Amino acid sequence: MPRSPALKRAWRYPRRWWLVGFLLLVLLAGLLGVLVFLAREYEWTREQDGLSRDVEALANDMRSELTRNTQMLQLLNTADPDSAVWTQRAELVLQGHRELVRLEWRNPDMTLLVPSNSPYLGNVFQTLPRDQALPDIRRACDAATRSSGPSFSSNYFWPVAGGRGLELMEMCLPIAQSGTPKGFLVATYSLPAMMAEWAKSAEVSGRGLAFTEGDGTRLSLHSTVPGARDLMQATALLDLPGHTLQLQLQSPRRALGLFPNVLTAVVGALSLSLMVVLMFLARDMRRRWRAERELADALAFRKAMENSLITGLRARDMQGRLTYVNPAFCDMVGWTAQQLLGTGLPAPYWPAELLDVYQQRQAVRLAGQALPREGFESMFLRRDGTHFPVLIIEAPLIDAQGTQTGWMSAVLDLSEQRRVEELNRAQQERLQATARLAMMGEMASLLSHELNQPLAAIASYANGSLNVLADPQREPDLLPSAMRQILEQADRAARVIKSVSDFVRRREQVREAVAPADLLASIQPLVALQAGKSGIRVVTDVQAGVPQVLCDRTMVEQVLLNLARNGMQAMPTGDPPARSGWRLLTLSVKSVQPDPSTSARRWVEFEVTDHGFGLSEEAQAQLFTPFFTTKAEGMGLGLSLCRTVIEQHAGELMHAPAQPRGTVFRFRLPAAPTL
Amino acid sequence: MSSLHPHAKVFIVDDDAGVRDALAWLLRTRRLLSESYRSADEFWDEVQGWRQEPDLPCCVLLDVRMPGTSGLALFEQLLALPWQAAMPVIFLSGHADVPTAVDAVKRGAFDFCEKPFSDNALVDRIEQALAHSTQVLALRQQRQMVQTKLDQLTERERDVMNRVAAGLPNKLVADALHISVRTVEVHRARVFDKLEVKSAVELANLLRGVS
Repeated sequence: MPRSPALKRAWRYPRRWWLVGFLLLVLLAGLLGVLVFLAREYEWTREQDGLSRDVEALANDMRSELTRNTQMLQLLNTADPDSAVWTQRAELVLQGHRELVRLEWRNPDMTLLVPSNSPYLGNVFQTLPRDQALPDIRRACDAATRSSGPSFSSNYFWPVAGGRGLELMEMCLPIAQSGTPKGFLVATYSLPAMMAEWAKSAEVSGRGLAFTEGDGTRLSLHSTVPGARDLMQATALLDLPGHTLQLQLQSPRRALGLFPNVLTAVVGALSLSLMVVLMFLARDMRRRWRAERELADALAFRKAMENSLITGLRARDMQGRLTYVNPAFCDMVGWTAQQLLGTGLPAPYWPAELLDVYQQRQAVRLAGQALPREGFESMFLRRDGTHFPVLIIEAPLIDAQGTQTGWMSAVLDLSEQRRVEELNRAQQERLQATARLAMMGEMASLLSHELNQPLAAIASYANGSLNVLADPQREPDLLPSAMRQILEQADRAARVIKSVSDFVRRREQVREAVAPADLLASIQPLVALQAGKSGIRVVTDVQAGVPQVLCDRTMVEQVLLNLARNGMQAMPTGDPPARSGWRLLTLSVKSVQPDPSTSARRWVEFEVTDHGFGLSEEAQAQLFTPFFTTKAEGMGLGLSLCRTVIEQHAGELMHAPAQPRGTVFRFRLPAAPTL
Repeated sequence: MSSLHPHAKVFIVDDDAGVRDALAWLLRTRRLLSESYRSADEFWDEVQGWRQEPDLPCCVLLDVRMPGTSGLALFEQLLALPWQAAMPVIFLSGHADVPTAVDAVKRGAFDFCEKPFSDNALVDRIEQALAHSTQVLALRQQRQMVQTKLDQLTERERDVMNRVAAGLPNKLVADALHISVRTVEVHRARVFDKLEVKSAVELANLLRGVS
């Protein structure tokens, strides 16, 4: 299918589709990115929260341990023990608590009464004197006195042998007996030991735990995170009476995959599959779009083709209703497509007088009999009432399932062609008529010359005789010779006339046996041509079993043609009107039973019946007179010639009024003897 | 009718013997002489045989349609004769030849009669043609007579006569011919004498009849 450049251009996929696809992709990628990012953040926050909770729990544990320790330490001085008992008790306590480095019982004036060192560490106050720590102890004890409860000092670094040192913290507990202060119990805590003792291994494994200053400086480290990786940390404050420690827990940041959790993975997978589906959808849409364009193009092409055709196209369903007409068809018949579509039988463009024929044809169609493939000629009616001949080529309309849904026809307007044919024929006829006339003129001239001579002579003799009779001095022997001459000339004229009739009679010898149907068939085309022009239906009615007739075929055909033409000329357009159904010319043939009384000869009777304006009395009287005519261009020889021909065949040409109107011409021809 | 010359003659040219005889017989009943010819060629041979132009009135009845040379062709030949006017031609035509015959009349034929003709009318027409012929012959005779007289004049006399007939006075004639008025008068008197006229007017009339 050839496409115009304009069509081709329209074929490009529109650019905005690409743009939309691209934007969609970017949006999806962005969404996915944000989703992953948020999921990571969420995971990390969750971890951080866990870390904070852990460190908080550690701090709480430590606080409760410290409280429990304090309660336990308060028991040391119950019942006012002596030094030995106290020492015994202190050693017991120190054995059970590794976090305690030393216990001291001091007087209210801070002088040391009894010390007891942890069996695990020994005396750590050997490198430096214990007095160095005294200010801290004093501050703690002052605070304890004020609050009448345990109080902690600030932590401090205490170097020990070997360049190492310990981060220590003092706790001072005022001892009172029956309301009177009896001194202080000072417990020295080691921060690393506190962590080692109280941090559960599960919470600390793989993590770094340390006491830190407010600025993050590590004071005492329990454990570190292996490797220097991305770390996260959480701190918790360990509020103690008199002092606050900060506990820091570090944890390696967990390495997260591209999709930090299952949900993200599922969403990502879904998005990706959505993307793929979208792509497929877009491709499918493109293909569909292209198919639609192709279909639209094909449809437009078909439409343009149908519209530009000068051949009329018509489709009808099985009931004969019009289902499709193209503009050429509408132009032809003069109705619009809206007016035509859906109209059933009889179609509006069927001439009234041909309805029967068309209904019959429709019946043939419905009976499933094939109509001629090369088409058939028909007559249509325009909306303005004029008739025009058409050639219809019809084919059954078969749908995809193979069942017939109607008929498709191509309709060609033949009126122009007919007009040309008609013109040619008229031209031909005129030429022939002229030739005939010229020949007849020539013959008439010859004949008149031949007859003029004797007539002139006779007239001369007669005149001369009168002259002689009027002349008194007449020569007596003149008259008889003149009379003889007149006789002789009259004889001569008679001979001329006889020779003419001899000439006519010579044709009588040509006789052949012809079937009447053949006679009618051979004039059929000529009759149909004229009938079609003036919208007359021609019906031939040949009785079954009609014998052959003995005749001069050419002459009898001429007679039938003449009678048929006369009949049609008696029915000019509009008289009788098309609706009356009487625009009908009947050519019928029947055999006449021999009349046994007269002769055994069989006859065949021909009848030509029209329903025209009939014959006036004057016309009837002069019907067979040569050169009498009611037609402007007629010669007036037709009927007289017909009669002559029929009489030469021993028949008789008769006429009678037809029912309900018009005229019947009837003649008989002898039947050929059956062998 | 009676004024016609008793020897006036009608030539009938027709291929049809019946018509020929009938016409001859008819003319005879009207006391007219006739001669019949059965073809144009026969009549033409006869005309060729005449040693001099006819001095008796005559006319031709000519059939248009004849085998061999047609009536029309014969008419053409006759028209070429110098004295044709003295022998009028009446065509006899059938129905079909009427336009031809009318055309012939326009070119100088006396008349045409359509066959079958009303005979006495034809004879009347024939008589008129003969009368016409008589007139032509008379004029011709007179002209011949004048010519004979003119032949007797000398060259000088003829010069003088032409000028006098043109209406010039003697003096001017003398000037034109370089001769004396007296000589002119002598010549003039002799011309009048020879031509048997009495005045210049008579002379002019005479000369007009000849030219």
